[in-house]
Amino acid sequence: MADFIQLLMNGLALGSVYALAAIGFVIVYSATGVVNFAAGQFVMLGTFAGVATLVNGGWSLPAGYLGALAAMALFGALFYAVVYLPLRNSPAVTMIIGTVAIGITLQNAALLGFGSWPFRLVSPFEGMTVDIAGAVVPVHAIAVVVTTAVLIGLLWLLFNRTTLGIAMRAVAQDLVAARLMGLKVGALLAFTWILAAVLAGVAGLMLGPMWFADVNMGDPIALKAFAATIIGGFGSLPGAIAGGLFVGLTEVLGAAYVSSAYKDLIAFGAMILFLLLRPQGVFGERIQDRG
Amino acid sequence: MRSLLGVAALLIVGLALSLIVSEYTLRLLNLAVVAAVAVVGLNFAFGYAGLISLGHAAFVGLGAYVLAILTTKLGWSPWLAAVPAVIGTGLAAAVLGYPLLRLKGHYLALATLGLNVSFGIVATNWIDLTGGTNGIANIPGLTIAGHELSGERPFLWFGLAVLAALALIAAVIHRSRYGRAMMAVRDDETAAAMTGINVTRMRVAAFTLSALYAAVAGCLFATHIHFISPDDFSYAHSITHLAMLIVGGEATIAGAILGAVLLTFLPEWLRVLGDAYLAFFGLMTLAILIFLPTGIVGLATRWVRRPAPPQADAAIGAEEASRP
Amino acid sequence: MSILRAEGISKRFGGLLALSDIDIRVEEGEFVALIGPNGAGKSTLLNVLTGLTPPTAGHIALDGRDITHASTHARVRAGLGRTFQRGRLFGRLSVIENVMTGVANRPGRSGRELRELARAQLARMGLERFAEHAIGSLSYGNSRMVELTRALACEPRVLLLDEPAAGLNSGEVEDLMTRLRAISTERRLAIVLIEHNMGMVMRLAQRIVVLNFGSRIAEGTPAAVQADPAVLAAYLGEGFSHAGL
Repeated sequence: MADFIQLLMNGLALGSVYALAAIGFVIVYSATGVVNFAAGQFVMLGTFAGVATLVNGGWSLPAGYLGALAAMALFGALFYAVVYLPLRNSPAVTMIIGTVAIGITLQNAALLGFGSWPFRLVSPFEGMTVDIAGAVVPVHAIAVVVTTAVLIGLLWLLFNRTTLGIAMRAVAQDLVAARLMGLKVGALLAFTWILAAVLAGVAGLMLGPMWFADVNMGDPIALKAFAATIIGGFGSLPGAIAGGLFVGLTEVLGAAYVSSAYKDLIAFGAMILFLLLRPQGVFGERIQDRG
Repeated sequence: MRSLLGVAALLIVGLALSLIVSEYTLRLLNLAVVAAVAVVGLNFAFGYAGLISLGHAAFVGLGAYVLAILTTKLGWSPWLAAVPAVIGTGLAAAVLGYPLLRLKGHYLALATLGLNVSFGIVATNWIDLTGGTNGIANIPGLTIAGHELSGERPFLWFGLAVLAALALIAAVIHRSRYGRAMMAVRDDETAAAMTGINVTRMRVAAFTLSALYAAVAGCLFATHIHFISPDDFSYAHSITHLAMLIVGGEATIAGAILGAVLLTFLPEWLRVLGDAYLAFFGLMTLAILIFLPTGIVGLATRWVRRPAPPQADAAIGAEEASRP
Repeated sequence: MSILRAEGISKRFGGLLALSDIDIRVEEGEFVALIGPNGAGKSTLLNVLTGLTPPTAGHIALDGRDITHASTHARVRAGLGRTFQRGRLFGRLSVIENVMTGVANRPGRSGRELRELARAQLARMGLERFAEHAIGSLSYGNSRMVELTRALACEPRVLLLDEPAAGLNSGEVEDLMTRLRAISTERRLAIVLIEHNMGMVMRLAQRIVVLNFGSRIAEGTPAAVQADPAVLAAYLGEGFSHAGL
């Protein structure tokens, strides 16, 4: 039982990170129709922004986190201008290849900047654990789950209670109508990319202490985020959260109770099953091809 | 006639190159030819039928693994092993295609991506059969009339012959009723069904054809390198195949071959940049997508003929206006 | 025996009853018009007949054979043809290749035969000179005619036309009417026409079926339908000028 609780908390923490990556992916997809294959590299970049400020720069924790997230916001704006804008009218598949190409660039730029040796990003709760029903649970895992929950709450407020968020939803639903209503569509789309990059940054900073920070960590995260999105429902925010938690839990619990070699096959098998049997996922309403 | 000329040009250029370039360039040319076979195949699925497949490398891998296992474990000749490798891969694609190809656009892209990742997981972990991450070594090379195609140069000649034959077959299919039906399905699925085309079957046929070509590429790869491992068939390779097709351009066979050659050599040309070469490779690919949206072939045809101005949009506008 | 017979067709989209218990019969060589205000369910009925939308209830028979559950391409091969409200040609194929996809329906034809048959179909419609043209280079009127030619190339026994005159100028409409009349008599082809141009409907149709809110509210000769108070009311409800009666 103690083992189970410990695994459950680790799974929830990992799932929270996947959920955040998936949310960034979904926000971008809903607003722009872009399937961002560089989403994993966004998270990787978040981790390494933390490495740059905290490890290499030696900044204090709050300054380091803020600096890293500010850098991610800047990166989101840059991505909007350099990748999204020039390709926004291209066919879906060109956009896929474009984001993959830039993902390769990001990964190798990180390799140039940080080398192939993995870094260890320290948690604010380094070494701290709590005892839950006999299980030793790292405080970091709890902090990750709580931070994610708070962020999800803030996102909900943004999209439902603020003019900015409602305008973003309008753009996501009907770009032309939004433009006719006088909304600044360009600025809103840019903000969407910035938001996605910052969320990926948070995910990266939280993942850093759980994994080793390695420039190749992007692809596995992106694949998990894709699986989470399909299972939860393409384009659905609750779906991204549920899917992310599911993928994280199956990865941790599957490795412990089923087979560590085939742990990833559970998530991807579930993803393929969903695609075949219920392509709209758990929470998806519409099934249409925006391609 | 035009396709015969194209194939003749391919053979002449290939043969000429094979006599003058270095051993290292020959090796790259061989990799380009193997990639070209796979990409000419992918052109059926993506170029003609519009199926965004991110799982093409899994079919290359399936062909390669079947050949490798039959030759190294059972001692089959690679020629004999290639038969079940190619046919088995085609069957696998057909069986997977029926459920998968109901999905469209991004859904199909992610489903085939999942398929490719799943293939990698199985190839990595079914160690008894595949050797896991250590892969399968000592795959025998091909022999023709007692001569082994051991050097890079003889292999290139053989590879070019295979590519030329497969490109010709692809050209014939392109111009046949099946090629037309695939393109009709891509352009307008509903209208295609309304001209009596079995849309599902055409999709599966295009997907299966692309997998058959992929399996041939896999067999060539295995007998050329003599060693395979799961990394050779990761989904990154699937994306490279798609990138080759798009960079080559306009859903054409010539574009598929040009794209395969260019994206095989581009990283090598960028090696002068030292450690930064892959970062620049990504940027260059992005630049090609932005500035050459119709690829190399599109650029060439734009020079030759100017397209007629599209009138359909204006007419649709008139239709709206004329409604009472 | 009716060549096309649909009985008790209903179609429900969620809470909306788009078609309610529709019966429709078409005889061999007959020219039937299907009219009704916007949203009456005309296109939905065409989609149900062609298998693009499954009906919630009802049966469809083509030439006495039940095709209720047949796929679209099977219906086409059994003799059902259709054009779409907005021209839907295959943009990457040439004009003759578009027509060839229709000709290719019948098995056992060589590639050369397909091309010759397609050329003959184009010649019959006076479109031969456009055979090798790209679709994008056609005028709107010609692209609609090519679409009609492609549908005819499938050798249908019943042809469903969804607003074929929309967007055509008056000369083109006259030309279309002449051709449709000739096609219907020469080929013993039954035609079901959806059209907002009432002048065209009155001159071409032998029988008119009127739909409103998914129900059949009238049926009969053009003269009878024109005098039917229920029909007038249906169109009046939406604005009299709209019907052009």
